[in-house]
Amino acid sequence: MKRSYLGVIILAAILMMNIVFTQYMVHQYYYENYVNVLIFGGLNIVLFPLAVFAYKKTINMRA
Amino acid sequence: MSDKNNKIPFNEDNYTHNIERNNERKLDRRGFMKTLVGAAGVFAVSSLPWGAVAAKELMGLGEKEYPHKKITEVSKLPIGDAVEFKFPGDHDDAILIRLSENKYVAYQNACTHLRCPVFWVKEQGEMICPCHHGKFDVETGSPTAGPPRRPLPEIQVKVENGAIFAVRVKRYEA
Repeated sequence: MKRSYLGVIILAAILMMNIVFTQYMVHQYYYENYVNVLIFGGLNIVLFPLAVFAYKKTINMRA
Repeated sequence: MSDKNNKIPFNEDNYTHNIERNNERKLDRRGFMKTLVGAAGVFAVSSLPWGAVAAKELMGLGEKEYPHKKITEVSKLPIGDAVEFKFPGDHDDAILIRLSENKYVAYQNACTHLRCPVFWVKEQGEMICPCHHGKFDVETGSPTAGPPRRPLPEIQVKVENGAIFAVRVKRYEA
């Protein structure tokens, strides 16, 4: 069975962005830029439905 | 010829009818992608409390004044000496340093690197964290050497009737 690894790549990219945003969020919190904390926290939350969406879209894809 | 055996099984995500090896479903692409999605979910959930405390700070709840707390008597603190106290909570270590006749500085003395207690070295005129040799400027609380990168939170003090009181914790600008 040939399969597409596009989904895996997309999800890995999303997870990488998660890590980056979390790091930013924590640092901005300690620098007391609370608006930035909310922005990056929001981005982190938005990434989850995006990941579910990417999973569903690519799970039955054939290369 | 009937195509009884040529049907694609119904569309489901958790198929179990073609497993050939033990733990096969744990090794495949789907399982791995599900793990990745789950990890994204963990990240999303774990950023909620940070957002909550940030929103709380934004609404100004973090700016509240703590009840003034007496640290010590002026007469008990010679120039150049330091005294440790707790402010604003019972577990928030802080240090008060008398620099001259009328100049006092106070900081929350948890090192901004890994929260070791910072202490005052009179002979060198520096505040030193013993864990990783971080040093702080005594006038401003900003780090001068070692791993810490953020200044110590300053505590405003006032002198009244020969006693020193802690008033509030100053916010610092990054």
